Amino acid sequence: MTATDSIAETLDHLVADATDHHYSPYTRFDWVDELADEQWWMSPDLLSVAGTALGERLGTERLMALSKWECVNFFSLNIHGIRELLMEVTRRIHTPGFEVPSEFFHRFLGEENGHMWFFAQFCLRYAGKIYPDRTLRIGDDSQDPQVASFLVFARILIFEEIVDHFNIRMGRDETLHPLMVDINRAHHDDEWRHIVMGRKLVEHLYRPLVERGDAELLDRLDTYLRRYMTGSIQSLYNPAAYRDAGLADPYGLRNEVLADPARVARHEAFLKRITRFLLSSKIITRPPFATEQPREST
Amino acid sequence: MIDEVRSWLLARNDGVTDIGLDEDLIDSRLIDSLGFPEFLLFLEELAGRELDLGQESVVAFRTLRGIRDRVLAGAGR
Repeated sequence: MTATDSIAETLDHLVADATDHHYSPYTRFDWVDELADEQWWMSPDLLSVAGTALGERLGTERLMALSKWECVNFFSLNIHGIRELLMEVTRRIHTPGFEVPSEFFHRFLGEENGHMWFFAQFCLRYAGKIYPDRTLRIGDDSQDPQVASFLVFARILIFEEIVDHFNIRMGRDETLHPLMVDINRAHHDDEWRHIVMGRKLVEHLYRPLVERGDAELLDRLDTYLRRYMTGSIQSLYNPAAYRDAGLADPYGLRNEVLADPARVARHEAFLKRITRFLLSSKIITRPPFATEQPREST
Repeated sequence: MIDEVRSWLLARNDGVTDIGLDEDLIDSRLIDSLGFPEFLLFLEELAGRELDLGQESVVAFRTLRGIRDRVLAGAGR
């Protein structure tokens, strides 16, 4: 069986599963009229201050307020991430090189559109806003189509793996409101298919880049992806969320909690699955927060 | 305040010893897509306000002069 046959077989299974579990996002959830501020909107151990000295100083009431705005930040990041992946996958569906996954891309695009809708619905109903996108694409996308496609699907996979860590935790957290549990669970129930596809595609798209024998290129991709992983983690620390939770000096607070040694293990946990995958595929040479080491020749 | 911005950029770009006021930070790759969100938050902290990423303001982020005269204008600490 060729690599392409293997991908086709996996995608056939994923398409069948997506068809079996198809639902309308517009009727799937019981939207309550309002959600009280005095409750956990996010599992406390997932908050950006969890385990830190600052987190210890904040009382339960402040932490609950922060959980509301970090939940909104998390859903806002999802909205912006989905926007990028919708655009990039739409650019590639039914184009040369993407014949095999295009059938699955239809399911993927449909499901992601639904996810974007329910995340936005939640933010706008219960917080009255979506935090703005703070990223900016400033012309550093590769002009090489093979490299560009690899990076697009690697970014999508990293984003989905991090989000899934949060979804799995909150989809099982009975201390959260049933609506929040349901949204996180529904997202995870679809995302596992996207992650399976993403891993297959990323490995498939990386192979021809390795075959070029260009060590400088592989170094660059390695560095880029580790920086992307680090940046994705940093985006969970939003000063606007601290401000909305009523916390003073939101930028200083962000610097303090980001530098707190207790956060290292949390970051590793958030990135554990995707780091293991990228290391085992030899796409990255070390975890994103590790110190510099030279790449071994491939 | 613009010296703090210059120092922030120099600390993140090995081998760069100085940055001119009119040097294009994007063309010279002192800032790229991955580094931009942290740069934006740093500038917000200096400016003391949330910055709007409209197209016009993006131009202001391209040089230290633009940052000094447009992004940080009026900011005082």
